[in-house]
This record gives sequence, C-alpha cells and structure tokens, in this order.
Amino acid sequence: MKILRLEYLKLRKKTRSWLGPILVFWLIMLAYPLTVEFLQDKLEIGFFSVLWIAILISMMLATEDIFIEDYNDGSLEQIMIKNSSFQFLVSMRIVIYWLMIGVPISGLSFFFSLGTTEEIFLSLSIFPLALISSYIFLNLFVLGNALSLNKGSLLGALVTMPLALPVLIVLGKSVISIQLGINFLEFILLLLGCLSIIMIIVPVIVSYIIKAHLE
Amino acid sequence: MIKKFIHQFASPKTYLFQVNRFYPYIFYISLIIYTFSLIWGLLFTPQDFVQGNSFRIIYLHVPASFLSQSLYVAMAFASITYLVWRVKLAAYLIIAIAPVGAMTTFVALISGSLWGIPTWGTWWQWDARITSTLILFIMYLGLISLHNSFSNYEKADKLLSWLVIVGAVNIPIIKKSVDWWSTLHQSASITLTDKPSIDPSMFYPLIGSIIGFFGLIICLVLISSKHQILIREKTKSWIKDYV
Repeated sequence: MKILRLEYLKLRKKTRSWLGPILVFWLIMLAYPLTVEFLQDKLEIGFFSVLWIAILISMMLATEDIFIEDYNDGSLEQIMIKNSSFQFLVSMRIVIYWLMIGVPISGLSFFFSLGTTEEIFLSLSIFPLALISSYIFLNLFVLGNALSLNKGSLLGALVTMPLALPVLIVLGKSVISIQLGINFLEFILLLLGCLSIIMIIVPVIVSYIIKAHLE
Repeated sequence: MIKKFIHQFASPKTYLFQVNRFYPYIFYISLIIYTFSLIWGLLFTPQDFVQGNSFRIIYLHVPASFLSQSLYVAMAFASITYLVWRVKLAAYLIIAIAPVGAMTTFVALISGSLWGIPTWGTWWQWDARITSTLILFIMYLGLISLHNSFSNYEKADKLLSWLVIVGAVNIPIIKKSVDWWSTLHQSASITLTDKPSIDPSMFYPLIGSIIGFFGLIICLVLISSKHQILIREKTKSWIKDYV
C-alpha cells in the first residue's frame, strides 16, 4: 500500500505524464468527426477503429517516461538494491498509470461511444473492453520502454507494437459481436485471460530487463 | 548434465569447426533435393483442377511460410538457452537467425501475394493469417533494430532474448489463425495427425521442397552465425589462428 501511495504521488506530480495522454486521446476522438461527414451512419463506420487506435497511441505516450527519469537519476538502481521484489514495484507502477490514465480514457471512451452511436448497451459494453485493452497496451508498452530504456521510447514502441495488433483484432471482432448480439462475454473472458497472464509475466520480465540495463 | 553437455559442445570454437566440416554436405544435399523437387513439382505434376498452374507457387510459398515460423521457434529456444545456461553461442544464433527469418517471412508474404492475384483476385487481404505473418515480419525487423541499437553486445543479447520469448506468443496465433477466424487463407493441407488433403502427385514434391528449402535456409543460418562468431570473438587468440 505504501508503494502504491508513493507511486501515485510521484505520478500526480508529473502532470504532463498523466494529463498529456488523456488530452491526446481527447483530441484524436474530437478530430475524428472533422475528417468525415457529420452524418450518424458515416461516423459510426470508423468510430471504433479510431477509438482502439486512440487508446493504443495514448497508452504508448503514457509509458514514454515511465522509467527513464528514475534510470537517469540513479533511483532505479537504489530501488533495485533496496527492494527485494522489484517486479512488485513495476506492477504497482503499471496499476497507478492505468488508474490515472487508462481508467479516465475508458470513461471517455464510453461517452464518445454514446455520443456517436447513441446506443447505451453498446457504449456500456465498450467500457470494460476499453478498461481491459488499456491495461494490456500499458503492459506491452512498459515492456517496450524497458527494452529501449536509454534509447528512446520509439524503439520500444516499434518492437512491442506488433504484439498489440492481435489485441486490436480481438477488439474489432468484439465490437462486431456486440453489434450482432453474439458471444460478447466470451471476448471479454478471452481478453481477461490474456490480461491475467500479461499482468503477471510482464512485471517479471520488465524487472529482469531493467536489471540487465543496470548491470 | 545438460549444462555440461551444452557447454562442451556449444563453444563457438567447436561450433565453427563443426560448421566448416558439415556445411558443404548440408548445402549440396539440400540443393539437390530442392532442385529435384522443384523440377518435379513445376514440370511433372498435373495441373490443379481449380487453380490451374498457379498452384505451383506452393513449392516456394509453403516452405518459406513453414520456415518463417520455425526459425522464430528456434530463436525462442536459443533465447531460453542463453538466459538459463548463459551459452554465448545461443546469443550469436539468435541474431544470426533474425535476418534470415525476416527474409523467409518476406518471401512467404510476397509469394502469397503473387498466388493471391489469380486465385483470390487480390494480392492482399487483411485476413488473420496474412496479418499475423506481417506482424511476424515486423517483429523480425524490430528484433534486428533493437539489437543494432546497443553497442554493448551482452546487454543487447539479454534484451533481445527477452523480447524473442515474449514475441513467441505470435507463433501459435499464426498457426491457429485459420482455425480461430474465418479467413480467406485456406486451412492447413498437411498436418501431423491427419491424412494430407493434397493429392500425392503434388504432396511428395512439396515435402521434398520443404526439406530442401529447410536445408538451404539452415546453410544461410550457418553462414550468418559464422559471421557473428567472427565479429564477436575477434579478440580471442583462436580466431587469429582460425583466420
């Protein structure tokens, strides 16, 4: 709990780190209607694709400086020496980032979906999908950033982005299943299953990767 | 015991000498098998009832697709070997396999596109099998970029190994994509458990082409790994004697 609180305070101080991705998400979703005609059916065609990609990009931006400051000022090294469970710290940091960035974005996704489709059930179904997908993307980009810790986040995004693409495919299929009223819960369970594996494995791998950087 | 075995037989020096010993045999045997299978498949196999002559691209497409995934699996095994037993040769093999894997995946994508024009009426479809293979290709490029971005080889090897292991999740997705999603791409004609759905007159040259292509790609990996060893072990005294 102490670590969670500490991580929360650290992120809260870095306004740009948590507010920036939310604003970028907001801007992408606002820009979308401007690129197509303001007709309901026209807007609905590409809305969900833009939504998932906006979440993906926001999560990529959110993890941009997740470790770099601590790495540069040497506190990452100190944390690693002091803290026996570094992976726990990594997972707590991901949780805080998700709570402060992923959850608001998921909430916004609901409102944007409601505004575009005017379907409450569809929008309510989008909310858990956005919650789960934002957590998965966050984990993947944290992995990428750990890999390219001192080489810039672009390289990290390049190497982990392909892993996010199967999730995008599943999200696309989920929306179709919601619209057709079939198997929606199975998609949620599939994503939750992936998430449960990712949220255990990624912090462990990230801690090993950071150790490799610090050695 | 496994550790002792690996360390004894996987030293770069022993490996290099063994490669030099076996390379010509592998190369010539594979070349003969592939050429023979290709001639058999292209000239002596009857036309397909539906696809006509265009099906003959399978003698390139299927081996390339098979190898693109197999090479990634080999990289994943090498990564585990490197991270668990710290075998240097395994790290050299990972980065030696990556460009060859990228090349075979590219060949699989291109040959698939060329095959798609007469059979599907389009050279590209965003179907699950093709997209997941494209992801594999991007993964290979990402791995190469990641490794090249570090001047410290040891660090690069460790990071690369972790990424290869994580990226291995894409392999079952590619393999099962035709079963999990309704795709334009056909499901597997050859499986280990069932009788092949392909006619024997096409099946035997296909098996030959897979074996021959496999051997030729192994030769490329061997050359690439030799190159890696020469770069990475250049300060060692035995390399000076070798060169």
